[in-house]
Amino acid sequence: MTAVTDIPAQSDLRLTVGAKAALITVVVGALCLALESVAPWLVKWPAAWELPATQWVGAFLDWFLNGIKPAMRLFSDLMAYPMNWANFLLGSTPWPILIGLVTALGWYLGGLPMAALGFFGLCFVLASGYWAESMNTLALVAVSVPVALTVGGTIGILANEVPRVKSFVQAVLDIMQTVPTFAYLTPLLLLFGFGPVVGLIASAIYAAPPMARNVMLGLERVEPEIKEAAIMSGGTRFQQLFQVEIPAAATQIMVGVNQCLMAALSMVIIAAVIGGFNDIGWEVLLTMRKAQFGESLMAGLVIVVFAVVIDRMSGTLATERKQYDRRVVWAVLGFTALFTAAFWAWLPNPSELTLLDPVAEAVDSGLTAFTQANGPWLDALKNNSLFYVLLPLRIGLDQAVLPFTWGFQWTSGMSYGLFAFGGAVAGLMAWRGQLTAGLVILTLIGMLETGISNLPWPFVLTAVGALSYVAGGWRLAALSVGLLCTILVSGLWERALLSLYLSGAAVFTCAVVGGLIGLASAVWSPVWKVVRPICDMLQTIPLFVFLIPVLMVFQIGEFSAFLAICAYAIVPMIRYTRHGLVNTPDEMMEAAISSGATEWQIMRDVRAPYAAPTILLGLNQTILYAFAMLVIAALIGTTGLGQSIYLALGQADVGLGISAGAAMAILALIADRIVQGFAEEQRKALGL
Amino acid sequence: MTDANTPAIACRNLWQVFGQGADKALTDALSRSGNDADKAASDLREHGFIPAVQDANFDVKEGELFVIMGLSGSGKSTLIRCISQLLPGTGGEIRVDGENVVGASKKTLTDLRRKKLGMVFQHFGLFPHMTVAENVAYPLRVQGVGKKERLARAQEVISLVGLDGREDSFPRQLSGGQRQRVGIARSLAVNPDIWFLDEPFSALDPLIRRQLQDEFLRIQATLKKSIVFITHDIQEALKLADRIAIMRDGKIVQIGTPTDIVLRPVDDYVREFSKDVAKGQHAKVASVMRDESERGPDDPGLTTSMTLDAALAHCMELYEPVPVRDEAGNIVGTVHPSDLAAALQVEET
Repeated sequence: MTAVTDIPAQSDLRLTVGAKAALITVVVGALCLALESVAPWLVKWPAAWELPATQWVGAFLDWFLNGIKPAMRLFSDLMAYPMNWANFLLGSTPWPILIGLVTALGWYLGGLPMAALGFFGLCFVLASGYWAESMNTLALVAVSVPVALTVGGTIGILANEVPRVKSFVQAVLDIMQTVPTFAYLTPLLLLFGFGPVVGLIASAIYAAPPMARNVMLGLERVEPEIKEAAIMSGGTRFQQLFQVEIPAAATQIMVGVNQCLMAALSMVIIAAVIGGFNDIGWEVLLTMRKAQFGESLMAGLVIVVFAVVIDRMSGTLATERKQYDRRVVWAVLGFTALFTAAFWAWLPNPSELTLLDPVAEAVDSGLTAFTQANGPWLDALKNNSLFYVLLPLRIGLDQAVLPFTWGFQWTSGMSYGLFAFGGAVAGLMAWRGQLTAGLVILTLIGMLETGISNLPWPFVLTAVGALSYVAGGWRLAALSVGLLCTILVSGLWERALLSLYLSGAAVFTCAVVGGLIGLASAVWSPVWKVVRPICDMLQTIPLFVFLIPVLMVFQIGEFSAFLAICAYAIVPMIRYTRHGLVNTPDEMMEAAISSGATEWQIMRDVRAPYAAPTILLGLNQTILYAFAMLVIAALIGTTGLGQSIYLALGQADVGLGISAGAAMAILALIADRIVQGFAEEQRKALGL
Repeated sequence: MTDANTPAIACRNLWQVFGQGADKALTDALSRSGNDADKAASDLREHGFIPAVQDANFDVKEGELFVIMGLSGSGKSTLIRCISQLLPGTGGEIRVDGENVVGASKKTLTDLRRKKLGMVFQHFGLFPHMTVAENVAYPLRVQGVGKKERLARAQEVISLVGLDGREDSFPRQLSGGQRQRVGIARSLAVNPDIWFLDEPFSALDPLIRRQLQDEFLRIQATLKKSIVFITHDIQEALKLADRIAIMRDGKIVQIGTPTDIVLRPVDDYVREFSKDVAKGQHAKVASVMRDESERGPDDPGLTTSMTLDAALAHCMELYEPVPVRDEAGNIVGTVHPSDLAAALQVEET
């Protein structure tokens, strides 16, 4: 007995790294709160101390962009040719021929299921009446993807050939992944002016990294003996690369092609925000603004159909393919030609097709009926979430608790009571040997009382620094604090905290809900059968489309944005949690079972610890996804950096757009590194 | 330049050191230790370098089957990669047909590989996107040999390794044994003089392994290549080798014929290897033969190339010295049956 109680006593004396970090954080937080009235600059960074960084960035970029403008305009003029051709080709090809081509391609790639997918998918597009808009979108994708594939492929191969380029390329790709999509658009807007070329180039830039990444990965993973066999066969480096290594890496490279296609499509649709092109993304935006939700849902579904068709068809490239009977391809094409020739005079103009209008109207009226019928309930859901969860998180209990919502007024006495409660919990846990956890709880209670957007900046810097230190040592701590300081002095701090609050709330929700769904999917396979296709679907849908349903039900506002972010960001959490839990090695499971552990004990003692690094990686992905969606969600009403980026786009303010984009990237980067650090530690502890 | 006495491969003071700035570190270590290889190696280790091959010296004669044997991590795979110049080699000399290949230009090496070298890999190293025939013909394709010609040659070697009828299969459709036959066929496609085999049979089931070993010996009997063969299996080494080099921690500890290795191990490490070996199956009568002429009356018909086991079986009941004949039937020496028994005696452990 004595031995057991001795251990916590000892660890009280010698604090762990985590406990020290937590202790410092608590002390700084308490100091800030105590000095709040004496020194208001502790809470709010004074405007006088701000550097006009956004202006500087803007001025520099203006100068720089103006310098390269002529070259870029030339490039843009050059790109206009293939784009016009693609537009003309797709726009003037009769629709039966396109449907026939896609169906034949589907058969060639994946047999009957893919052929059917292509056929019915395009028929849906045709019936929706958005054929012309869709073809415009497709034309952009058709031009940007070859550019992205070439650029990405070349970069990947170069990085593979020149080791010194490799680490540089990897670093750039990492950063590009965290920069929000809209941030690309503003400087491009300045360079190329309004118009479809911006969308084209943005999507090429956005879609090249996944290609580069997968080419690098694929070439790296070619078995060393295959590379050696090529050398020993007497091939030149060129022959080795193009005759052996690249074909041997084909599967991974095809994964890159698939991701490249999806990224391009997603970006082309996002680029509709800047307008200038009559494409399907624009259609969604337009109908959304006019609150014609039935139509915007139809347009959104058209996008989803494209995404699914492109994803599933290009996905077959990355798996081992069967040969399907070529004669079917010719038969389909022949029939298409005959059909088109025979009915040439009777072919309806696809833009005038309104087969699905009744559906859209039905959706609209159904929606009205639904919101009317469930109005009180929906409002209650929305308001309760806002008043009791989101708002306190944002501005703190001390400001959010009002007689109007909570039924009473928050007093400073209550604050003291809450802090006393937190202190008591921390003390109790410290006494039981869990000092770190206790201090973390105390900190969280303090944050809840103050509200994330009102957190004193010294506290944020200390807390992030401490967390970084625990996760990755001094270097990470210095990096995090340094980067945060650049946000602080640039005058974007408040907006950054707002972004942090909304994405933090969404990430937390995703972690809890997604974790539970992942757990359920892992232990009970019928759940996974249902969850899996939903996850697949959610990951295929371009970001933009998530906005439509939440907007339909909850209108513009923070709660809708929150839901859209959650819907998008929850997927990796579910997937990784399940994957981690399911992939516990059989031997470990058998060892646990033969030791007589119950199902629950196995989960707690074997599967969960083993899955922890994987789950942390899922959390990491969820954070990155949330940040990506945050900017898109700015379209339907969020505050913070996302909104700034969106506004900058509207005003063509490069300085603000890039600075806010960079701030966003910094937040994502820090979160990414901290979680990766914890995951790495966990992996090391498990000896993986 | 080449004549009958030039070895096919000659390694002199060959070093392979891993680590940043290994070239300089090796020169320094050697000068500090006064060219003492052992001291230099431990010096390098102290400085955080990995001397994977230390001061290797050996010749492989024309048509010789030279086996390098060692446990995993002993440096044998690194050594064969040095000789084939898949690794650059940190110090020393490798002469292939009298020509030094260390530091040779890319073009020279490519030419050498196209004309003279062939290599077989442990995990086959087959190109997954090519059929059997295309795999085998690839070394010809890189030289620009026309399609018809190279496929015809590929067909020859495919027949040689007994894979007729599988020309159009892809590697993934073949069994392990069949895959290695493809690897062997590919390495023979350009009819190289020198043949490297890096643990070619280690990834195979024991039965398939023995089958392929026998076929390998059959092929070698007709082709008479100069061979460097890597293995971790002492039985395989003894079965195949003309001579064996045993490696330990990057050092070659003994080079000798199979009989030498089994009967005259230089140290405990090598003895440890040969312990499990049924010596009688590998050592020949010649190794215990004496140059005496006093013999008993019996002549059980021993020959020099008989294994000790077989000889012992012939001399079960005999105690006096017996004559030994060579292949032609001439008496060349004498064996004391007690020597046979002594040589076979299992060491006490």
